[in-house]
Amino acid sequence: MELKYAYYPGCASQEMTKEANATTRLVCKKLGIGLHDMPKANCCGAGLLTDYDYQLYLALNARIFAEAEAMGMDIMTICSTCLMVMSTANRDLLADPKLLEKTNEILATAGLRYNGTIKIKQLLWVLAGDYGLDNLKKKVVKPLNWIKAAPFYGCHSLRPSDALGFDDPERPWSLDAVIEALGGEAVQYKGKTKCCGFQVDLVVAETAEKMTATRLLDGKEKGANAFVTPCPFCHINLDNYQGLAEKRASQKIAMPVFHLSQLVGLSLGLTAEEMGLSRHLVSPEKILK
Amino acid sequence: MKIKFKIRRYNPAEAETAEPYIQAYMLDVPEGMTVLEALLNIVDDQDPTLSFRKSCRSAICGSCAVSINGFSKLACNTQVIPEYKKAGEMLIEPLANHTPLKDLIVDFAPFWRKMEKVAPYLTPEEGAPTMAVTPKDEERVDRSQRCVMCGCCNAECNSMAIDEKYIAPAALAKAWRIVGDVREGNAKKRLERLSEEHGMWDCVRCVHCTQYCPKDVSPLKAIEELRSAAMKEGITDNPGAKHVEAMKDSVERFGRLDEAAMTFKTLGFLRSLGMIPFGLRMEKHGKLPRPHIFAQIEDLDEVKKIYEEAERRAEAEKKEMESRKKG
Repeated sequence: MELKYAYYPGCASQEMTKEANATTRLVCKKLGIGLHDMPKANCCGAGLLTDYDYQLYLALNARIFAEAEAMGMDIMTICSTCLMVMSTANRDLLADPKLLEKTNEILATAGLRYNGTIKIKQLLWVLAGDYGLDNLKKKVVKPLNWIKAAPFYGCHSLRPSDALGFDDPERPWSLDAVIEALGGEAVQYKGKTKCCGFQVDLVVAETAEKMTATRLLDGKEKGANAFVTPCPFCHINLDNYQGLAEKRASQKIAMPVFHLSQLVGLSLGLTAEEMGLSRHLVSPEKILK
Repeated sequence: MKIKFKIRRYNPAEAETAEPYIQAYMLDVPEGMTVLEALLNIVDDQDPTLSFRKSCRSAICGSCAVSINGFSKLACNTQVIPEYKKAGEMLIEPLANHTPLKDLIVDFAPFWRKMEKVAPYLTPEEGAPTMAVTPKDEERVDRSQRCVMCGCCNAECNSMAIDEKYIAPAALAKAWRIVGDVREGNAKKRLERLSEEHGMWDCVRCVHCTQYCPKDVSPLKAIEELRSAAMKEGITDNPGAKHVEAMKDSVERFGRLDEAAMTFKTLGFLRSLGMIPFGLRMEKHGKLPRPHIFAQIEDLDEVKKIYEEAERRAEAEKKEMESRKKG
């Protein structure tokens, strides 16, 4: 069966973490997963629009779903926060026909309508689910036997589970399984289901930086030589802001952090250059083989 | 089914138990037995010194919250066998983010202090006209009033794990119970207080509180409601609210998030200047976001129309509420 998705990279991956978007496109091309652009798609609100006005948040997300519906495809994103924000809106709209109708009245002023037929997925779930781990294994030409990766799921791949539904929020398996399918080792540590602090980076920097440091040090202590995450926001905190976390923790951490797509790409034989690794603030060079 | 219970114990009154340690108990567990029943069994048949809180045994009193295999749950509504099958073990510890007093009993004084901080009772405006509470009014705060004060949400809260001064989800859910009540007369004052340091804007949206609430209170939803209410009251002179305003403006103007403008608007001019050395390091790796000037998506006019309609409706709702309050 041919896999194809309405592709929603999310705002961060079109700007700050461009490498996540570019490498996802390369990897999906190589695996034969069809990604179809959504030129109209607006920002999901990243949780912040939910804080502003719930009904506006629902309507703007329904506008994204309406575009996917017109394309006849489910949505695939590469951002855990987009995944959670869209899935939660979709859960609420599908659970309450009156709310869906009210939201459609707002959409109607823009000539749009959402019929409630869309599912929202992320790259991680597509690889571990629709595409399948066995198929993924068959495509690996350069097993990642050099990596001891701390899988960092990020909050919004796991919770709230009644809106997301794919993985187990207490004992998540999908990212561990993908790392192992690529020939790497998944390191077990407490922080794997916990938060990176991204949402308060600009609001309470001290909390965010301490949280990032705690997660990285936890993985490091358990023997990880790298982190891997399916979420660009987690990547921003764990990699871009690692220097700030180090300062806050008064110690060097020096932990390279990969986007999920980059690890997959390396195992498929794509080069470090193609995977945009020079864009990282913490260089993964010394562990690459 | 024979299951080994590993229980974290601690008793500061005795020298040999003054450091926490794990004690194991074997128990024959029948289908359907809850963790609380298992604990009661252990006390009855094996070890009367094991201490824990409990009362109603039916998820109403909120006394028996403990950490089961690393996650906060009520012992009385968690069955042993499914939990054991899933986790491969049965490890019971005191709630995280709380100080243990003895065995599984934790100090709840800080929990109550946070609760007191939000003054959890209605304070109607003196002389205000009597107002009927409609089913729709009740629905707004319905989930918040299901809280049994078990502490699972605070124990799971990632923000409170870093900053113990954070007001935390339990008190915030209670605050929404009051602020969201149509009869409350001091909503604005309460929202101003909640917008201060260590207040509602410190939530990191990790969604643990909502995932682990045994009564489906959804503290995160309450936090979102509080934040929305504060913004509608014009309480926006703080980084949290500015961050949301920047997002709202950015999506309206460009259809997408403008990372450069978000930073600038949230931090303000002076604090943004402080970010320059760090920004230069990011720029070296091509990571410094560029501010948007043009629309970033097709058919942006649709987004603008949605904003207009949603805001027209929000305004109408606000007016309706104001006129109801006037009697």
